[in-house]
Amino acid sequence: MFNLPTANIGGQELFVLEFGDIVNYFSPYTAALFIFALIFTILAIVSRPERQVDIAFGGDAYYAKEVDPGLLRFQRFMAIACGLATLGAMVSGDIFNFTLFASLVGITNIGIVAAYRNRHVLNAAFQYGIVAMLATVPLFGGAAIILASTGTLSMWELFTDAVAVPVIAKAFLVIGVMGEGMAPFYVAKAEITRAQGAPFILMVHVSSLLLFLRVIEIVISM
Amino acid sequence: MDMTYTVGLSVVALALVIGFTAIVRERDDLHRILLTDLAEVVSLVLIALVATDLAEALILPGLVVGISELMAVSEVYIAKEGLQAPPAEPAFHIEVMDSAPGILALILVAYGIVLSGFTGGAVAAVGAVFYFMCRGHAEQFELIETVSGYAWAIWIGSFFIFMFLPQYWFFAVMMAGGAILLKVMAKMSLVGTMRGGSDV
Repeated sequence: MFNLPTANIGGQELFVLEFGDIVNYFSPYTAALFIFALIFTILAIVSRPERQVDIAFGGDAYYAKEVDPGLLRFQRFMAIACGLATLGAMVSGDIFNFTLFASLVGITNIGIVAAYRNRHVLNAAFQYGIVAMLATVPLFGGAAIILASTGTLSMWELFTDAVAVPVIAKAFLVIGVMGEGMAPFYVAKAEITRAQGAPFILMVHVSSLLLFLRVIEIVISM
Repeated sequence: MDMTYTVGLSVVALALVIGFTAIVRERDDLHRILLTDLAEVVSLVLIALVATDLAEALILPGLVVGISELMAVSEVYIAKEGLQAPPAEPAFHIEVMDSAPGILALILVAYGIVLSGFTGGAVAAVGAVFYFMCRGHAEQFELIETVSGYAWAIWIGSFFIFMFLPQYWFFAVMMAGGAILLKVMAKMSLVGTMRGGSDV
């Protein structure tokens, strides 16, 4: 019944999950991304976060930073939510669902870093939050323009040759995902990595990278 | 494409340019939060321009995402600036506020359940808002969250019935109607707690 129109990018579909007219799919490409996200979600669930150690410059002394258990619980929850949102974005067969999952990743990323009471980290999280909020404009705008110009949001329709998606919509989609996941803005993320709890912070990076890989697949296929 | 859509799109583009210029020029963090909210509204306009039933269905998640991001960033701002709400005394206190809330809230909530759906939720919520505004709300807050969570689960459950067992649609409609009553009521009750307090 289902056949991916462009098999040369993601490969043939392996498995199709149908919710009414929303059809999620696994191709070798998205399945690989899915498994990658799944591994890191499981890591976030089972891992014991490490303590961060500050070395005092010019001596032997170091400070071991205490991490509040309540904060860790919150951070673990946010990391798992971020993983689930990434999983959803990887297999989504619908542009709007993809954008929603992308913005969910943005929100949970703010949540992962925002729990700290370190001024630098909070400042970075705030700037990042502003960018993530602004990124919803091109993200949803791109989806809306796709809907207006083609009349559908289903990737099964959009990937066919008969449907032409305007370049501006594709550009909006990529810019939006870049803003939500902050994929190329590692400079802005540098302060965020001062937050304690390595596996959870890792989730920020993993989710943004996977999102970026997925949006590239979508944009090329359209 | 339609002429109206093109005109609307150019207006939105103009609004975006104005909004983004304002955000770039603004230095005050609080004002920047407000300006980003303005930009989010423009993105809703972009969706609304499509002007079909589907667009209508897409605006709601867009709005929810915008609000949740706004709340998250606002929380970060509060933590960043170390702001704390001053302990608030009730603005006014009169005799009837002790005796009336229970009865009035009961009547309104009962009538809301009879109405069911969105309208019922709004009516029942007025009762709950009134109750929480007159009495304290420190303890009931968790109860609302719990009820809202269950309502959401029921709502999702009824959607699964729509998808997988369409022949039982009437049962699902009833479930969804009851759940959305609880959801709307829970959301609007939060308005009654908006005077600040220990756990708000």
